This record gives sequence, structure tokens and C-alpha cells, in this order.
Amino acid sequence: MDSDIPLGHVLVTGGCGFLGHHIVNLLLERDPEVRISVLDLRTTHNRNLNSQVSYYDGDITDYSKTKSLFETLRPDVVIHTASPHFNLSPDILLKVNLDGTKVLLQGAQETGVKAFVYTSSASIIHDGKNLINADERWPLAYAESAVLAANRSDAYPNFLTCAIRPAGIFGEGDVQSVPKMITAYHKGQTKFQIGDNNNLFDFTYVGNVAHAHLLAASALLVTAKMAPQRPLDHETVDGEPFLITNGQPVYFWDFARTIWREAGDKTLPNQVWVLSTDMMWAIGAVLEGIFWVMGKTPNLTRQQAKYSSITRYYNIDKAKRRLGYKPIVDLQEGIRRAVQYIIQEEKKQGEKKAQ
Amino acid sequence: MPKVTDVLYYLVHVQELRSIIQWKVWHNPVHERDESTESKTLRRCFYFLDQTSRSFSAVIKELNPELLVPICLFYLILRGLDTIEDDMTIKLGEKEPLLREFDNILEKDGWTYNGNGPDETDRQLLVEFDCVITEFVKIKPAYRAIIKDITKKMGDGMADFASNAEYNANGVNKISDYELYCHYVAGLVGEGLTKLFVEAQLANPALLQRPHLHESMGQLLQNVNIIRDVKEDFDDGRRFYPKEVWSKYADSFEDLFKPGNEEAALNCSSEMILIALRRADECLFYLAGLRDQSVFNFCAIPQSMAIATLDLCFRNPDMWKRNVKLTKGHACQLMLDSTQNLQLVCDVFRKHTRSIHQKNTPKDPNFIQISIACGKIEQFIETIFPSQRPDPTLSVKDGRVLSPEEEAKAKKEAQEAKWDIIYMGAAVFGILFFISLFMIFIAYLAGARFDVIYNQLRSGNLARPSAGEAQPILNNYEHQEL
Repeated sequence: MDSDIPLGHVLVTGGCGFLGHHIVNLLLERDPEVRISVLDLRTTHNRNLNSQVSYYDGDITDYSKTKSLFETLRPDVVIHTASPHFNLSPDILLKVNLDGTKVLLQGAQETGVKAFVYTSSASIIHDGKNLINADERWPLAYAESAVLAANRSDAYPNFLTCAIRPAGIFGEGDVQSVPKMITAYHKGQTKFQIGDNNNLFDFTYVGNVAHAHLLAASALLVTAKMAPQRPLDHETVDGEPFLITNGQPVYFWDFARTIWREAGDKTLPNQVWVLSTDMMWAIGAVLEGIFWVMGKTPNLTRQQAKYSSITRYYNIDKAKRRLGYKPIVDLQEGIRRAVQYIIQEEKKQGEKKAQ
Repeated sequence: MPKVTDVLYYLVHVQELRSIIQWKVWHNPVHERDESTESKTLRRCFYFLDQTSRSFSAVIKELNPELLVPICLFYLILRGLDTIEDDMTIKLGEKEPLLREFDNILEKDGWTYNGNGPDETDRQLLVEFDCVITEFVKIKPAYRAIIKDITKKMGDGMADFASNAEYNANGVNKISDYELYCHYVAGLVGEGLTKLFVEAQLANPALLQRPHLHESMGQLLQNVNIIRDVKEDFDDGRRFYPKEVWSKYADSFEDLFKPGNEEAALNCSSEMILIALRRADECLFYLAGLRDQSVFNFCAIPQSMAIATLDLCFRNPDMWKRNVKLTKGHACQLMLDSTQNLQLVCDVFRKHTRSIHQKNTPKDPNFIQISIACGKIEQFIETIFPSQRPDPTLSVKDGRVLSPEEEAKAKKEAQEAKWDIIYMGAAVFGILFFISLFMIFIAYLAGARFDVIYNQLRSGNLARPSAGEAQPILNNYEHQEL
């Protein structure tokens, strides 16, 4: 696929979020002519000072306001990365996700947007289950179905959509995986390992996920240009989901150890206590009960015990074939960047405190 | 007589002893060569095969008869070339033209060579090389052309290295030089063998469209030899580890053998093993393209040995002190597992991949890259033999989850389908019931004595009475009636 095609005016929802702001940065880096509008609930974080980016506060579940914003902006491409905070209850999460996405789809269709790229996820349904070399035949999220169903709909036959399913995103500005592991290091928990560490896991550097979004957006624009002709079935991007990873599944604890090592840890394998998953699950359950009484969450939960011994990796051949996707940042380099970022942030915090 | 240490070893490692016995007792060669039909010179060739190759002669001799002789000769020819290249007593001025011209020598009737030094192990092969030539001109022209072509390429490649002063003084420099060297001495063998297999219709012709696959086959084997033989080569004054690799861990190569540098040496061999490990998935891919069992065995056994040797060498400080080797028992186990099917070979690869992974340590600078390389092998095995498929119990259509409305609809449809089955069942049984009643009614009209049957059943006579037994019963009833 031709990734140099100018994207024109791009609306990035959630553009102040972790993934969203990486997409904004990459867009600016790739295409000097690009115009970017960011729509987010709050636009105070992760702002890019470049004059080609403008920021709009807004709630994507509010149809009338979103619609009027679309009418003023009239973007060519929508990259929808906004998602509610993962700590919310699954019901609210689903509702905001689904309703917000539907509002955006409608707004985009009604104002002549050509391409709509949705950030889905590789691991919503299979919570707590192994996923071994899974590909796009494995089922996923509701909101994604709504997005893909909107592709070439009867009412808007020229509106093209696709979905990106990233797995285990990490990188600079990530608030989940790497910071949690660094916290574990600071607490001296690097001497423990749950499970036998034969479980492969996909972690994806955020820059690669951003790259995939841009490839998808250009592919949709290329498809739009060739209308009324349609691409061959095995080359089609519109209406399709794409799994995106670094293409480098590693053993779960190897990833953690590399992060700890990068952060300064010196623990050796023979100093590590290997604990069985079942036992840790039970301990997690007891801890959760005790902490529940105190109104807190413990560091070790049943979910974490299970999560660290689960197998979860994917086959990304479809994205390679149809999007021309290839990771641009290797896992090792991604880890280095993510950890150095946190170390720098901690330093800044320390300096602030010192002042 | 087995050595005492061996006896003790196998007393402790009974599993390995079992493998040896199993291999000796149960292994049936796919094909056996028929010595009675062989000419005297051919028998001499097989004699040299046994002499020059410890690991390959057994598998070559079990090859499909179509390729048995061509591959035996191919091996001897390359061994001859190697014997010239290896021999440091031959002057470059004599060596280089010999290497470059070797493909023509193959058709020079009666050609022999006794210029090798007296210590060269395989010198006798070249002294009697005329028997190889005699047999070579007899094989099919297509096979001959393939073997000649590879001999030419390999001879030229070896001559290039032999005449490269820098290489002779300092050994291999860059990783790319190392790959090129391995290409000449092993990658080309992969190419030649693949062409022979395809020509004989014993392998998928698509293998020729993916030359990187047979290249990886050769590279992995040669990489493993170089990694394992580091000490032996060093003692012989040769170094195949590229400077680009070892210079990261030591200022000079000999430092790696010195006490106190064990950690650096281990990290150096880790990187070498990493380079080899990255080839493993393509080797499995290649094996998947073979059609003939004997060809499969021939290719799979060395590969299994290679991955097991990598495992043996990985983070093993002994390999810098002496030549480490797989035990005979382990080798027999590997041969048993490599002479059946691809899935078992994949299991061997996965087992050793995991073993390497479990020995991997974060203090090694190659730690995460080795983890990635292991993951790649495991993922590839999953691609050919998936252990998981999409869960069919989930409400899925074309890989997508259904929306709540669609799900409700699907549920309703399922409910309707259930009632359909109930109705159908009721209808079938209803009809059966009606027909039964009707038949009983007809029987009643025709005078069937249901009362007799009823009473007999009540008194426990379940079996049908024989004609002799039935009559008195009936008489009994008829009396009553009268």
C-alpha cells in the first residue's frame, strides 16, 4: 500500500490520550501538509504545539455537539482512538464505547468523511483465556462490529471504515503495562515469577500501532480513489479488522525482566522464586478479600495472577499482506524508549519536589 | 568394548539407553541398498562414504534408490573439494586452480590426486578419486549437471576465501562474511540437494521458488558446526566466529578462552547461537515441502541434531574448554523422532527452543533477542500445527461478535429451531402410536387373544412359547370358554 498519499484533514478522537498523541506526532512527522484536529474529553494533556494541530474539547456521546463540530471541521479522515478509562465498569465502558462510536460514525457519514479508522482491541472477549497465534477469525468487540457494518452501507456507499486491533500497547506515556512493572521493581518484586514462563505474549510498541493506523487511513483513501472499481477480495482493507502487534511474541516474564533490567534491576534467574499459578490465584483471592474489607485493592489480584501466566499472541499476516504493515520499531528499542521515558519523568518529578 | 564411563553413564540415564536399544532394534530403513547389483567401483565409493562421514553415511544409504548413488557421489565430491581446501600444506598457487577447476576434473577419466599432506584424514579418497569419477559419469545427465554446477560455485567460493589474505590472517571479519562463508560450504549443498530432490520428484518444486529456505537449512547446520567446534578450530589456528560478533565481548579472540572471561565468552556464544536460531523456522518450513520419507529423514535428522546441539552449547562454558557433543543415547532419541513425521520434528524443535529459553538470562545482552527468536520458532510451529481454533461456542459470524439485537435474534431463532425439533418428534411418535393401535385393532378383529398374552405376561412367561408348549395353554382357555 502507498503510505505517502496525503491524508488531508484528519480528525483524531482521543488525540490527547496515550495512543492518540503518538498518532498526532507521527502524522506531523510523515506529512508536512497535514491538518489535524483533535477531539478529546479534556485537551490539556499531551498537546502538540505545532500550529497544524487544533484541539477541541467535547463528549463523543453528545450527538448534536459532535455533529456541529463535524460540520465546521469537515475532515477527510477520522481516526477514532477515544475510549473511556479502562477502570470503569464493563457496562459503562461498553455503552460509552458503542454509543460514542455510533455518534461519530453518523457525524462522519453525514458530513462526507471518506475514511474512518477505528482503534479496537485484540483482547476484549477472551478475558482470562489463552490465545495462541490467534488471527482475525477470532471474535472481538461490539463497537468494532458497528464500525465495520457502517462500511459501504446502503445509505452511504462511499463511506469506508476499518478497524485496528492492537495487542498490549506500551511506550512513552503509557499508563498501564510498563509503569506497573517499574512499580513492581521499585517494590522489590522482581524476585518472583508466577507460572513457568513458557507463555508467549504479544507486546506492541505504540509507534508501530500509530504507524498501522496511518497505513490503514491511506489504504482507505486509495480504495476511495479507485471507486467505483473495488479492490480484489484478498487486497480489501475497507470493512476489515486488522490485528497489529510487534510481530515478536516473547515469554511474558522475559518482557518484564527486560524492563527491570533496563530500569537497573540485577536479579538473576537463580534468585527468582517460581510460584505456581493456582497458588497465586488463591493467595490473590484471599488478599482481595482482606483488602476489600479495608476498601483497597491489593498488589496481587486473581486477575494479575492469571494474566501473567496466560498465553496471548497473534498472527498478523493479514495486516502484513493487506496494509503492507511491518513494525518500524523493534521490541528491544521500544522497551528502551518506554523505560527511559519513565526514568526521565521520575527525574523531573524528583526535581520538582526538590524545588 | 564400551568404556566404563559409558556404562556408568547409561546406568544413570536409562531413558537414553532405551533410545539406543529402540533405534538398533526397531528402526527399519525406508530403503536398503542392494550391494549385489553394485559395481566394484561403486562399492569402493560406499566404502569411502563410511570412512569420510560419521553422521551422514547411515542416512545417505537409506535414501530412495533413485537418489542413492547421486547423493553419495555428491557427498564424496564435496568432501574431496573440502579436503583440498582444508589442507594447509597445499600452496595457494596449486590449491586455487584445483578448487576452481574441480567441476571439470569430475569428468576427467582416471584423475587422482596425492598432493595432500600425510596427516589429512581423507587423503585416501583423493588418491582413489578415479572410482568416484567412473561412477559419476554413469548417473543421469540431469543429476550430473546439478552436481557439476554446485561444485563449480563452491570451488570458486572456496578459492575466493583461500586467496583472501585478510581472511587467512585474521579469520572471518563481518557477519556478512560469515554468512557468505557458510553459504559456500553449506548453503550451496542445500541448493544442490533441493534441485536433486525436485528433479527426482521427491520434493515440492515450490521449494525452488523459495531459495532462502534451503539456504537456511545449510546455514543452520554450518553455524552449529562452527559454534560447537570453536575450541577445536582455535587449537588448529582457525577462527570462524566473525570479528563483528566477538569484538563486542573481548579485545582479542583468545581472551575468550582465558579463565576469568567466562561470562564474556558465554555472551559471545549466545550471539552466535542467536544468529543460528533465527534460521530454525525456515528449516521447518523447508521440511514441510518434502514428499518422500527417506528424503525427509535425510534432511530432518541433521536439523534435529543441530537444534539439540544449540541447546547443548547455549550458556555452556564447557564449549570454550573442550569439544562438547551430544551423547549417543540422545542422538538415537533424536533419530527416532526425526524419522517419522514433521509434527514430531516440530516437537523436538519446540522442546529445545523452550530449553534454550529457560536457560536464557537477563544479564546476557542478547536476552530479549533470544526470547524473540524462540518465540518466532514456537509461533511458526503453531502456524503449521495450530493447537487452537476460534471458539465455536461464541456467538460469532464471520469473525465478528454479534450486536445485542443480533444476538437476541439468534437466540430467538435457536428457540424456534428447538420447537421445530419437538414438533417433528411429536409427529413421528404420534404416527407410530396411531399405526400401532391400528395394527392391534386389526389383530383383534382377526381374533388375536390379547387376554392370553396378558395373563401369560403377568405370570412371568416372557419368552415366546414353542408350538408344543403353546397348545396346552390354549386348550386350557378354550375349556374355560366352553
